[in-house]
Amino acid sequence: MSETYAVELRNVVKQFGEVVAVNNVSLRIGEGEFFSMLGPSGCGKTTTLRMIAGLEMPTSGSVMIYGEEQGYLPPYQRPVNTVFQNYALFPHMTVAQNVAFGLEMKKVPKDEIRRRVAEALELVQLTGKEKRRPKQLSGGQKQRVALARALVNRPKVLLLDEPLGALDLKLRKAMQSELKALQERVGITFVYVTHDQEEALVMSDRIAVMNEGNVLQVGTPEEIYETPTSRFVADFIGKTNFLNGEVVEIGDGLAKVVLENGAVVEASVPEGKTFVRGERATVSIRPERVYITPANELPDVRNAKAFSHLPAKLVKFFYVGSERRYVVLVGDTEVVVQAQNVDRSTRRCHTGDEVVLHWDSAQARLLKE
Amino acid sequence: MKKLLTLLRKRPSFQAWLLLLPSAFWLFVFFIAPLFIVLIYSFLERGTYGGVQWHFTLENYRRTFDPLYFKTFGRSFYIAIVTTIATLLIGYPLAYYIASRPAKRRGTLVLALMIPFWTNFLVRTYAWLTLLRTHTGLINVTLMSLGWIQKPLPLFGNDFAIIVGLVYGWLPDMVLPIYAALDRLDHSLLEAASDLYASGPNVFRRIVWPLSLPGVVAGSMLVFIPSLGAFVTPAILGGGKTLMIGNIISNQFLAAHDWPFGSALSFVMMAVMLAATLIYFRATSDEERRQL
Ligand SMILES: Nc1ncnc2c1ncn2[C@@H]1O[C@H](COP(=O)(O)OP(=O)(O)OP(=O)(O)O)[C@@H](O)[C@H]1O
Ligand SMILES: [Mg+2]
Repeated sequence: MSETYAVELRNVVKQFGEVVAVNNVSLRIGEGEFFSMLGPSGCGKTTTLRMIAGLEMPTSGSVMIYGEEQGYLPPYQRPVNTVFQNYALFPHMTVAQNVAFGLEMKKVPKDEIRRRVAEALELVQLTGKEKRRPKQLSGGQKQRVALARALVNRPKVLLLDEPLGALDLKLRKAMQSELKALQERVGITFVYVTHDQEEALVMSDRIAVMNEGNVLQVGTPEEIYETPTSRFVADFIGKTNFLNGEVVEIGDGLAKVVLENGAVVEASVPEGKTFVRGERATVSIRPERVYITPANELPDVRNAKAFSHLPAKLVKFFYVGSERRYVVLVGDTEVVVQAQNVDRSTRRCHTGDEVVLHWDSAQARLLKE
Repeated sequence: MKKLLTLLRKRPSFQAWLLLLPSAFWLFVFFIAPLFIVLIYSFLERGTYGGVQWHFTLENYRRTFDPLYFKTFGRSFYIAIVTTIATLLIGYPLAYYIASRPAKRRGTLVLALMIPFWTNFLVRTYAWLTLLRTHTGLINVTLMSLGWIQKPLPLFGNDFAIIVGLVYGWLPDMVLPIYAALDRLDHSLLEAASDLYASGPNVFRRIVWPLSLPGVVAGSMLVFIPSLGAFVTPAILGGGKTLMIGNIISNQFLAAHDWPFGSALSFVMMAVMLAATLIYFRATSDEERRQL
């Protein structure tokens, strides 16, 4: 069955001279999806987005929009619109003129332009600000104008390059939910670039995690957080602990690993990854998935098939109100444990004590080193 | 001393005035005082060998309305306007070209534009003389020897020659402000316009041109004002026939020894320029001033 995707990238490569900005990226973005590209600075997110917009041409590979090969089509012939990182509002035009620009270029009749501009401004709650100049707007308002200017054209795909990057934290949080609600209302496919992992988790239907020009993993926020397939993804999304060791036994989805201090623990093997006995590997376990008890005690019974136990020494304790945070040493590796402040057993752990860490083995991930 | 300091602390505006004093002094010595002297002279009678006699008169201003001078004013205006338009037509594409080169090469190109203008103005104007002269000028001689023309073209001793000289002379003053405006232009605005379905010509018409207008206005003023008052170029390339108002003024001081009349003419010209400037700014700036 050949499905049509809103955007499809096939083996896209982009080089700037010696620099490989995007290295063989293939993505399929479904219609109506809120799709995020997440990664550290310089990983090629903007470049990928610009290639979809036509502002940059791929060195090789192909970009398709609704099944149509875009080739060397210039930006003004592509059915997409972009919200630029710095908004790029036209300083010599009013808010209304900015929003009307795309429609004027498409030679839409005058009254229809007027009606659609009013609608778009209402959608982003800027009614009444039509006559203002970009200079007379706050950061959040500029952001809305940029959004209205793109949405008014009813593009098939909206590309957004860190649209909230210039806003302060509070406004950013407010705009996140607003933007998400807006996307659901208009039903347009959003391709959203950000380097803020929380933003990506909160807003997206699916996320592509990028690093150094490569897409490392694509999945729902839950998949990305719960089942990272690489050390980079586990580390970049949320907080995690890494324990290095050597694979000693591979079973049904679980592997046994002997750590550097000789202790043996279990972790789940990501789908599609193969490990061999004797291979060096890393166990990744999230701080909130680890239980801590005084030595020789077990945590409350939970319905897990397999539990790993790991002796450690408690070196630091932080009381954070809603949670208790422990820093323990396993050999000379620091491990952070986060416990909801409801678990009674943890209260008997004191700095300097010998303790035991426990986790559901399915919650730990075995990753390549 | 202490009193002065407390006074300064209490009255911040006084501080500002105090800081302005040195520049106000120089402005007065070099700008306002000479202007004032010229203004006074324009109401006095002429001395026999230059200089003035201290008798008040309005005669000098009455004479400036003589149709003879009126016509010269008119022609000066015409030449200055054509010069400004021609300079803009050549200067804008040039500035656009330089501004669209890679950053590394822009500096070199601006320098290349400037270097010829470090030569003396008179020398450069005489160079045009050798090119444009009717019978012995390089252009006519070449074209005739190639047999492309039978009679020499009227390249010299007319408005055309003066305009060529002026356009050449003031080209950098047009290019540099436009280049500065284009250089400041945020590239992402062009990308945004292109993303919003604007093709190349539309991007230029709707984004580049309006945003470079402040540079166009500045460049036009920088070319128009000195062109209107020009006297070296018309003296050399006008062949003594086509005169501009600047020549009449310089003649009053250097040849006719009529300083008061020269002063009166200067003042009338200044008033006209001021009016032209104001009208020009009114016409163009409401929109642009806001984005500056
Ligand atoms: N026009 C260009 N010329 C040369 N190199 C470029 C150009 N544009 C991008 N690069 C390089 O390509 C790489 C990827 O850049 P890109 O802008 O896509 O990163 P990004 O993921 O958007 O980063 P950020 O989060 O900082 O915006 C970087 O190494 C960058 O230096
Ligand atoms: Mg970027």
